[in-house]
Amino acid sequence: MNQADVSKLVSKLRINVLPKHRNLNNPKGPEGRIDKLRKTVTGLIKFERIELNYNRADEARQYAERLISEAIRHGDCHKPTMDTANFWLLEKELIHKLFKVLVPRYEATNLSYTRLISAPQQQYGRHTDKAVLELRGNPFPDLMNYKTNNKLLIQNVLLDAAKQDYKQSKINEIANNIGKKGNSSLDKSSKNIEVPEKPTES
Amino acid sequence: MALAIRRSTSEVFGAAKWFIRRDCRALSTLPEKAVEVPVEKKRDRPVVSRIRANARNPNLALRHVYPEFLPDPNPKWRNSLREKLERTDMLNRRKQIDIPEFYVGSILAVTVADPHAQGKTNRFVGICIERKGAGLRAEFTLRNVVDHQGVEVRYDLYDPTVHSIQVLRLEKRLDDKLLYLRDALPEYSTFPFDMDPEILPDGTPVPVNPVQVKLKPRPWLERWERQELQGVSNIEEHLKEKDRVRRELRKEPWEKYDLMKQYRKTIPIEDQNDIWAEVNHQLKQLQLTRKKVSRKRTFGVPKTQLG
Amino acid sequence: MFKSLVSKLNPVQLSCGFHTTACMNEVRLLSRLRVVDNSEIGKRAMAEGKPPKVICVYNKKHVGYIGDRVLVAIKGQKKKGILVGMKQKQSVKVPKFDSNNVVLIDDNGTPLGNRIHVPIPTILRTILKEKTHSKGADYTKLLAIATRFV
Repeated sequence: MNQADVSKLVSKLRINVLPKHRNLNNPKGPEGRIDKLRKTVTGLIKFERIELNYNRADEARQYAERLISEAIRHGDCHKPTMDTANFWLLEKELIHKLFKVLVPRYEATNLSYTRLISAPQQQYGRHTDKAVLELRGNPFPDLMNYKTNNKLLIQNVLLDAAKQDYKQSKINEIANNIGKKGNSSLDKSSKNIEVPEKPTES
Repeated sequence: MALAIRRSTSEVFGAAKWFIRRDCRALSTLPEKAVEVPVEKKRDRPVVSRIRANARNPNLALRHVYPEFLPDPNPKWRNSLREKLERTDMLNRRKQIDIPEFYVGSILAVTVADPHAQGKTNRFVGICIERKGAGLRAEFTLRNVVDHQGVEVRYDLYDPTVHSIQVLRLEKRLDDKLLYLRDALPEYSTFPFDMDPEILPDGTPVPVNPVQVKLKPRPWLERWERQELQGVSNIEEHLKEKDRVRRELRKEPWEKYDLMKQYRKTIPIEDQNDIWAEVNHQLKQLQLTRKKVSRKRTFGVPKTQLG
Repeated sequence: MFKSLVSKLNPVQLSCGFHTTACMNEVRLLSRLRVVDNSEIGKRAMAEGKPPKVICVYNKKHVGYIGDRVLVAIKGQKKKGILVGMKQKQSVKVPKFDSNNVVLIDDNGTPLGNRIHVPIPTILRTILKEKTHSKGADYTKLLAIATRFV
């Protein structure tokens, strides 16, 4: 039974934390592990959505959550927090992003700051669990897409536009044909319209 | 597409606002207050960061005085019911005897019931070199040099055989653990058994004793040179070149940035707030009753002199 | 030595594959003790810098605990002694000393010296009383020459 460390105060994370850390096999030992995680956290803050192995994603997620919660608690005028951000973010312009974009974004939220979604496995080759790690409120389309009949969904908007374009081009073609040859080529054009429309419907 | 853009524009807009305000502050010649005040009020009302609000709880200061009320941070050994029962037991014990505020580095006198001793009680005086354990298992170690022989005794804080714990000198040292006193010269851990208690006036912060001890020549019990100790003055004298090289090799500068390692060692603020809210009232009550008793005692002294 | 050899062979891997423990400070065969009474032989041995060596611990574990009888080799002689202070970790309220202390006795339990100049743990009173048999040696004589208990 150990006494809790009272010299530092931390705010609670809104994600599940394993009792023990994962070692993330590497030849340089603990230092190499931290280096690996630094790269991942930097990538996450930079791109807001990354795909990687599940174990590394879960470890990096905890560190990213801690970094953001420290930034929210202390702000950018606190020297130790600034040091920590400087250590974890390898690209220094991301420190500005952390304090000026992510902190206002997550200040009032009650959810975790990141999402971890397990990605489909490879069908062939070595089996490794893959995962997608993303910041909440990122500008990309949602990965967990249950409402597929929503009109405003990016895929549906694009499909609708494509359909519209195709129909328009066909109508134009027919109109041109009518002007040129009259009723001789009507049968061919009607066939042409029906055949390519099948994939758009499905 | 439209959705995605709409969401991101609102954020970009928010961020841009932030940038502009910051930059304008530096560029504008107007006094800062005129610009700041209305904007700040607008922002503060909707955005109440729960994290910052929780961290402002004044009860959190209790963690330095009563660290044993916080449970072990290892989730394998957490059990909310057991912790709650332990806390009530600890408070009940504190109602029976006065367990004072003390830190590593304070000098204590402990009287215990001892069936082996002649007077059935045993008193030991020493400097507290270590404090560990959580809940009812909290313990502390006293060290003293008696007749040129170093002696250490470990006591349970909530042991029912403890008659009294008296703080003779309330102070802190530069380090969290003073185990290096075992390898230090004996005068640094020698304290007379008939020491008089030193009384600090109410409300003064606990003083930090900046004394730096001198270590005996090697061999030592531990590799003190690798532990970055503040309270040792002559550690470099006893080192060879080999030790310095080894120390450099073994340094772990990334350790202090390991955010999850810190997290796994501590109890988060939200959990601490629950615990302190539970015990705070009773601890305050206990303190008040102790104060009343001590006041009565101070009034009692002149009467006896008169009589 | 073995550890360093392993690290030399495999410089990349910093942690070694096997487990090494810290010193337990136990009293075992051939461990050195400190004589704390003022017997002539004990005083001379300590002054010469040749402290006694344990050559037998009279219990079944072969590890000496507080109050155990030991046989020591001191200045070319075999003497019996009683352990009166231990360096290893002790249970709660039992004092732990900075050295392993021994008081020399003869076969009847009578101490060779007539004074002990370091503190003695009070728990020794009970332990020695339990070890004393009515027909055998009487170890409680040791308590009479102690100057101080902690």
